[in-house]
Amino acid sequence: MTITEFLSDRLRRFVLWAVFAAVTAAFLLLTGTQSGIVLLLGIVWALVVIGVQTADFLRCRLRLRELESIMEGLDRKYLFSECVPRARNAYERRLLELFCRAGRAMIGAVSDAQAAQREYREYVERWVHEIKTPITAAGLICRSADSEMRRKLTQELSQIEAHVERALFYARAESAEKDFVVCRASLAEIAAEAVGRHRSLLIQNGVRVETENLEQTVHTDKKWTAFMLGQLLQNAARYRSGSPVVTLSARQLGAQVLLAVHDNGIGIPAHELPRVFDRGFTGSNGHGRGGSTGMGLYLCRRLADCMAVGLQIDSEEGKGTTVTLIFH
Amino acid sequence: MQKIMIIEDDPATREELALLLENEGYFPYTVTAFTDIPAQAARACPDLILLDIGLPGCDGFSLCAGLRRAVSAPVIFVTSRDSGLDEIRALSLGGDDYITKPYNIPVLLARVKAVLRRSGRAAEPEVIEAGGLSLHLAKGCVSAGEKTAALTRNELQILACLMGHAGEIVSRADLIEALWDNQIYIDDNTLSVNVTRLRGKLAGLGQPDLIKTRRGMGYQL
Repeated sequence: MTITEFLSDRLRRFVLWAVFAAVTAAFLLLTGTQSGIVLLLGIVWALVVIGVQTADFLRCRLRLRELESIMEGLDRKYLFSECVPRARNAYERRLLELFCRAGRAMIGAVSDAQAAQREYREYVERWVHEIKTPITAAGLICRSADSEMRRKLTQELSQIEAHVERALFYARAESAEKDFVVCRASLAEIAAEAVGRHRSLLIQNGVRVETENLEQTVHTDKKWTAFMLGQLLQNAARYRSGSPVVTLSARQLGAQVLLAVHDNGIGIPAHELPRVFDRGFTGSNGHGRGGSTGMGLYLCRRLADCMAVGLQIDSEEGKGTTVTLIFH
Repeated sequence: MQKIMIIEDDPATREELALLLENEGYFPYTVTAFTDIPAQAARACPDLILLDIGLPGCDGFSLCAGLRRAVSAPVIFVTSRDSGLDEIRALSLGGDDYITKPYNIPVLLARVKAVLRRSGRAAEPEVIEAGGLSLHLAKGCVSAGEKTAALTRNELQILACLMGHAGEIVSRADLIEALWDNQIYIDDNTLSVNVTRLRGKLAGLGQPDLIKTRRGMGYQL
């Protein structure tokens, strides 16, 4: 609180007091009091007023600073009204009571929303697990079809699977509780899992996958990382060029391990590059061919942030794209 | 023949999985009553158990401990629960492997084979013989009579696949899939290059025309 704010708050009171003092002085002078005494009285009264008001100002400022520092220290600001110290007067107490009621209504609303989100996430997870059973059965059943039919059906099934996976990881990434498990994992295993999951799509698109130097191990959640790699592989198949090649290569850089996923596809225009990790961003490549959801890279970014894995993208139009995962 | 016990509550998956394993030369044993499974396992004496986690009336985690006490067979969890925590829990409860649904079939078969081999219940053929050739998988070489030629990883897998289906036509697409199953991620052109090189090596062994091209269909040994 600044001094001007304080003064402007009390301006009317001061004007009123000044008028009262002037009237009193006039009355005293008219009733024959000596002007020297009136002046003395006026000075004493003014000093008392200034002293009291200054003390008042300092107290107000101290109180506000105290409240502000409580607010600063709070992780969840909406819990403020629960944390303020006892009110110092009736007026303040009433105000704080009102804040408390507002705060409680807000806390209720927030926890309802959190519960709803958690329930929704649980539902999505259960649904995903349930849908996987018929997908598995269908995969086994279509084995008995002739090889051309089997290949087509397998590809469609793996498309379904990819969409289901994305729904699952979306629910996981958006949820407040993160249940990833970081442990030592081999990059070769993760890469094999990701390539295996998307092999129909990759084979169908004539993609060759090369792996280099994947003997290293990193600290990460295997499933989450395999999902991220899967998104990058799908992108490489979708935005491919004439004879598509994807290279998965790792290298050590100090304490970090860098896993680069490089493709020789159509690339991303430089002005779109900063936005590719945005949710729902599809860009000119996506508009051109359809089937883009704008979710793949967004989910990669979310999952990478959760696990504190770095994520970098470089691309040149017509040359290809490199996405680098940086493990610490 | 190895007996594989399937504990899975979805009937379609169970039946198809049993069929698949039967075609692969195993003896599948399906569980249809989900009560007192460890006792059923003890009676059946399987060589391997495929165990689902979400079962009616009990969960696979607690069942695994019971199975471990009842029989010595290795257990592979096959489940749609894919979180890292579930996997760690399954493996710490004595599971030998953990496969998430929907699995790709060659991967499932490879893991079954690997677990059986680890537990010493399967003898992996070291040498495949067909068409006058002997293929030594571990050594990575092929021999015809006295002559021997070393093969690259790609050539070895191509030849193994062709020899495994000797006499049949193997389509290029099937060959590519078989290679991808062995983590060799090649495309159509690379396959042609590798087959040409392989033919060159077989010619060196005095078998120049062993791999026949069936136009529009694939290759035949």
